Amino acid sequence: MEELKKKLKEQIIEALNLQDTKPEDIDDNAPLFGEGLGLDSIDSLELMVLLERQYHIKVEDPREGRKILQSVQSMAEFIQSKQPA
Amino acid sequence: MAAISPQHTFDGEMFSAPLVHTDSNLLSCIEPDYKPFIPGNSLRRMTRVLKMGLTTALKCMQDSGLGTPGPIVTGTGKGSLQDTEKFIREIEQYKETALNPTPFIQSTYNSVNGLIALQLKCTDYNNTFVHRGFSFENALLDSIMLLAEGAANTLTGAFEEMTAEHFYIKSRIGFWKTTPTDSSALYSHSSPGSVAGEGATFFALTATPTPKSYAAITSFRMLYKPTAAKLTAILQQYREGVDLVINGRNGDSNHEHYYQAADTVLTGIPQLPFKHLCGEYDTAGAFGLWMAAHLLRSQQIPTQWFPSGTKLPAQINRILLYNHFYGEQHSVIVLEKT
Repeated sequence: MEELKKKLKEQIIEALNLQDTKPEDIDDNAPLFGEGLGLDSIDSLELMVLLERQYHIKVEDPREGRKILQSVQSMAEFIQSKQPA
Repeated sequence: MAAISPQHTFDGEMFSAPLVHTDSNLLSCIEPDYKPFIPGNSLRRMTRVLKMGLTTALKCMQDSGLGTPGPIVTGTGKGSLQDTEKFIREIEQYKETALNPTPFIQSTYNSVNGLIALQLKCTDYNNTFVHRGFSFENALLDSIMLLAEGAANTLTGAFEEMTAEHFYIKSRIGFWKTTPTDSSALYSHSSPGSVAGEGATFFALTATPTPKSYAAITSFRMLYKPTAAKLTAILQQYREGVDLVINGRNGDSNHEHYYQAADTVLTGIPQLPFKHLCGEYDTAGAFGLWMAAHLLRSQQIPTQWFPSGTKLPAQINRILLYNHFYGEQHSVIVLEKT
């Protein structure tokens, strides 16, 4: 799980071009939107694309997306839940 | 006014900075530090021409002292090529699935206008014209009509970028010279093609002059594929009282005959070309207009830009700008000192 979260942070920084942010600056449980990283609605679409490209997971329901993209922790838990046991 | 160009135009160093030239057949813009103009959180998503266009527009509004603009009207031949290319590449790479929204949104021609309006909180008229070599000229025409209808001012501009891919595509259809040509000696290499360029140029236009005005546009004509007789007649009509001609000559032997026809009509009036400064692109006419307005207000010529030693008039009160884009879209603009 820790390895997945570290990788996910690196992928978020690259996908969203967060130039002055390092993986260690992102708190696992801090909100990605509004406070925390201060991401916006276009970033949420970019993160959906990240999940599809990197983890082959398509989020069909936008309401589900809101919960998944709450934090790095929630994204990692969702990815892990979709991976084959 | 403000301009980001291949010369040192953005920071007001045009009279002291050396002439920038290249033999790569591509004059690329000197980009400023964007951080004082655009918040970091917005900057991270923008590609090159968006940053260039938005920053030039913001600097122009600062320079004008007008505060919030009224209508925002721009012209671009190609918009954001970087975003367009990225979006198309990803369509192929990801088989039309999992496409990032950002390159698609930013590949639309009016994204620069949208960014300007968002940053300046301007909800007035907002339009982008995309008409190849007439893109900026149509933005200018629309702005003039808006001012005539009562708008107090308009923010009017143009932006264009060149990418490696687009440079290659255009080279295949003969737009650029086939041998390395020093841009500073562009006019002595009469052969097919020109050197590529790019730039962002913005003007704050007002219905009546202000203390900060550079010049007044007193005449403006667009001519599509004019005959020699038509072009000559129009130039003849506007040559009265002109002290200086600024022309869009670009060293392309395929279309040089139009400038030669203009030389004949405008005999006796000093001429300065501008394409060795900015290169050739769809909206290069905006750079020519920027240069003309600068010369009118400063009554000075950046001598390092024009080493040929053209004899210039002691007073410049009226400038005629004549430009065309590969022989198709021609424009004639007369500017006067305010």
